[in-house]
Amino acid sequence: MSDRSRLSRRDVLAGSVAAGALALSGARPAQAQAMNWKKFSGEKIEVTLVKSPRADILEKGLPEFEAMTGIKVGFEQIPEQQARQKQIIELTSGQPSFDVIHESFHVQKRLFEKSGWVADLDGFMKDASITSPETAESDFSAAGLMFAKNQQGHLRALPQSVDYWVIYYNKEIFDKAGVKYPDTFPELFAAAEKLTNPSANQFGFVARGLKNANVPVYTSFLLGYGVDPVNAKGELMTDSKEGVEAAKDYQRILSKCAPPGVVGFNWSECQSAFMQGRVAMWLDGIGFAPPLEDKTKSRVAGKVGYGLMPKGPVARASATFGDGISIPAASKKKEAAWLFTQWACSKQQGRNLITTGSGVPFRNSVVQDASIRGELKMPVGWLDVVAESAKVSKLGLPVIVPVTEFRDTIGIGLTNLLSGGDPAAEMKKATDTFRPVLEKSEKA
Amino acid sequence: MTGRSLLSKISLGFAVFLLVSPAILFFVWMLSLSLKYEIDNGAYPPILIPAPDMIAWENYTNVFSSSNFIKFFWNSVIVTGSATLFALVVGVPAGYGIARMKATKAAVVVLIARVTPALSYLIPLFLIFQWLGLMGTLWPQIITHLVITVPVVIWVMIGFFETTPMELEEAATIDGANGWEVFRHVALPIAKPGIAVALILSFIFSWNNFVFGIVLAGRETRTLPVAVYNMLSFEQVSWGPLSAAALIVTLPVLLLTILAQRQIVAGLTAGAVKGG
Amino acid sequence: MSVETGSALSGAAAAGSSARASGKSIERTAKDYWPFVLPALIIVSSVILFPWLFTIWMSLNEWKLGGSIHFAGLSNYAKLFTDERFRDAVWQTIYYTVLATGLPLVIGTFAAVIFHEKFPLRGVLRGLYIMPMMATPVAIALVWVMMFHPQLGVLNYLLSLVGIPPQLWVFSPKTVIPSLALIETWQWSPLVMLIVLGGLASLPTEPYESAMIDGATRWQMFHKITLPLIMPFIMVALILRVIDALKSFDIIFAITQGGPGNASETLNIYLYNTAFPYRDMGYGSALAVVFFIIVIGLSLVMLWMRQRNKWDEQGADA
Repeated sequence: MSDRSRLSRRDVLAGSVAAGALALSGARPAQAQAMNWKKFSGEKIEVTLVKSPRADILEKGLPEFEAMTGIKVGFEQIPEQQARQKQIIELTSGQPSFDVIHESFHVQKRLFEKSGWVADLDGFMKDASITSPETAESDFSAAGLMFAKNQQGHLRALPQSVDYWVIYYNKEIFDKAGVKYPDTFPELFAAAEKLTNPSANQFGFVARGLKNANVPVYTSFLLGYGVDPVNAKGELMTDSKEGVEAAKDYQRILSKCAPPGVVGFNWSECQSAFMQGRVAMWLDGIGFAPPLEDKTKSRVAGKVGYGLMPKGPVARASATFGDGISIPAASKKKEAAWLFTQWACSKQQGRNLITTGSGVPFRNSVVQDASIRGELKMPVGWLDVVAESAKVSKLGLPVIVPVTEFRDTIGIGLTNLLSGGDPAAEMKKATDTFRPVLEKSEKA
Repeated sequence: MTGRSLLSKISLGFAVFLLVSPAILFFVWMLSLSLKYEIDNGAYPPILIPAPDMIAWENYTNVFSSSNFIKFFWNSVIVTGSATLFALVVGVPAGYGIARMKATKAAVVVLIARVTPALSYLIPLFLIFQWLGLMGTLWPQIITHLVITVPVVIWVMIGFFETTPMELEEAATIDGANGWEVFRHVALPIAKPGIAVALILSFIFSWNNFVFGIVLAGRETRTLPVAVYNMLSFEQVSWGPLSAAALIVTLPVLLLTILAQRQIVAGLTAGAVKGG
Repeated sequence: MSVETGSALSGAAAAGSSARASGKSIERTAKDYWPFVLPALIIVSSVILFPWLFTIWMSLNEWKLGGSIHFAGLSNYAKLFTDERFRDAVWQTIYYTVLATGLPLVIGTFAAVIFHEKFPLRGVLRGLYIMPMMATPVAIALVWVMMFHPQLGVLNYLLSLVGIPPQLWVFSPKTVIPSLALIETWQWSPLVMLIVLGGLASLPTEPYESAMIDGATRWQMFHKITLPLIMPFIMVALILRVIDALKSFDIIFAITQGGPGNASETLNIYLYNTAFPYRDMGYGSALAVVFFIIVIGLSLVMLWMRQRNKWDEQGADA
């Protein structure tokens, strides 16, 4: 992150923090009888979040939270992989060093619930003395609540931000070739093929090819066939007819239209290539947008189009992922942690997320608020695609415990496709390898 | 005759160039990455020296201002410093003892410590440190770093003591000195250069350790290599700040290398040859 | 210490060698030196012993972090035999180790011969040459990732300057292991150089003088005189390199995490993936035990071979 973007973000924050303070003080009288933010003043909690622009925003807002509650916050951000590992080890030990953690719903939801690692928040929700009226369930989107509640309908996290998969496209390349942004899968392939010109070091399409990371790319296609990776009966659909068709799509577009070496690309290689103007389209999460519009990082700033995932043969779907904030069941300061969790998922923080393009809150009132357009630091096209994607949002990964094994095993199959593997055979092999792991984990 | 020596001079120069250039190229490029904005870091053809108004000094200032870097630096100093000093205190006598008594089993234990994959320590050590209530302090890291530093010190010192002549020690013994006095007044003073090397090497290997820190370090107790890896943010490429941080982390070690290269060369060769 | 390790393996030879040793220092017996060794021994064994007992115990259980623990006997070990990924990891570990040992040995030996010559600025240049070995591996790995980028990386640009087409480096299953081994070579040839340099420094001058009189070429002298004489040193370097290459983690983890596909997943990385991302401590521990046996076994065999060579030489001397 360069200082220029940081400065601009800081400016934004300075403004929004002031606005936030106003909003909070404005909200207080209505609930003054019950909710007391200062109830746990003097306590100290430890917060461990995954490093991301969303956590950056919370970190910058910390003084505001500490002033409001009198709670001291020890705050740290750790890269995703390490954070997940650290969480598991510490939660297993039964004495985690943190009171608030980040939960990647699409990876950890079932694991956290089944292991009994995260606190049940229902009790807190009912206690008006520690729960702000603003935290009411009614303002969270259906998808967010689905992520946050376990199978019995108990709240185990607060939903913080949602991630829709969209296509970033280079308007300049499209205009030069006279190509229109595609609306269907066949149009997508046609456009990608037309815009690929290896001799000029220009490629039509890029997306993650690295094992594990590549699975959401695949499911983005799969959902277009109206099929989820694991169906309602808990059966794997990755080797079904649709599963194989989606694999063919994945193989086709990434072998023909993507830069050589894409099999080893994670988001960062994709992002670098897109920002340098080497690729026409890049399929990935909505949260990757801010650097694209930063002139110290990107050669395509101001030229980026934000496209909705094209319509598949059966459906149009934007693969969706979500992050939340949860409290370890073993924490000894759950109430203070609950205050932090509410603050982190509050309307004001949601607003800070969306106006900076750092993320999209699960809060209906924020996303639907027309006034955020005025504060938006991103092109309006970005906000439009958020709204459109929300309408066709579908879970991008199955809600199972062994998500990592699923992503690794299916991811290997996808990797093999890029070196010429047969889609039907590879998907069958990967699915057969993973099936026993899933069955064992569901039985346990 | 002169023609041949000129030719051999040229080929020698060329060979030196071939050997040294990958290292130079890498560190120059690292420096270059650390001084550029991402737009230039990803540019192709690559940009070695950015335009004057595009030099990103802030990559460096950010490292110091944003992420508690000074604290992590201090943690690294304490962990590496303690682990190294402690390793010298127990390792130098041990190296002496092993060299003199040819202690087979002792040497095997040290060897096992060097050979064990560090990953296999992590979970059990985490559990035991937590049981002891040490998590959140620097102790877990200091103790685990001993696994790195003690074998290094012993390894170098065995080699060193094996090469020091026995005559003086024998003379002192005949004069009635006991084992400790012989070590303290005869063997130790001679071993000073060896100790210097053991110190430098154990410092470097401990300073660079990454694996232990991932699991054992918390927010307050993070060391520098872990902190550098933590510069990797999701959703934002950040080669500039990363390279700046990486350079700052390796700088102490690189300086040590350049300043002490003669001693390192001498000590490593002696240690390796005799110690293996 | 290897002297002693070797003698543990071969009792008869050890007896001979210690007899020779005791002939030199009669005054003190081994017992007198125990107090020097004991503190270090206690520390090292207490820090490594507990983890090992724990790991062996875990390997006999079925335990997914977050779930309950069941005793499972040797089933984790039995699973190894049918695990294709384990088999691949073994091969990839061997492939990686061969490259990451062989290349540094050749280049490091060459570097030692070069830096053994006298030329201006030798000290500084030698310092530059050993810098990669001293730099923090994680920090280095992150910079290499960017240099390898197939479209934007500086390496492909440099190749293009001399007319070589762009390579995919770590971004292709075919070239990922050689590319990683290249980094390892860059990083660890200096260590080989230092060890061999020590050997060169101890060489006698007489054989060269007589060879010079006989009109031998430089290559002949290197091949016939230098190489055999520094062979024991190269053996030491070989042992260290094999151990470290087998254990290599930082570089692979930070650059490819075992990818693309599983093409660079070595045993150490597979062990990590099993124990942490998959949370399978039981199976992960079984992998750790097997991996440890492989590493220890290999090192002991090599030490033993080296020892035998040494004794043969000593025998010849006597």
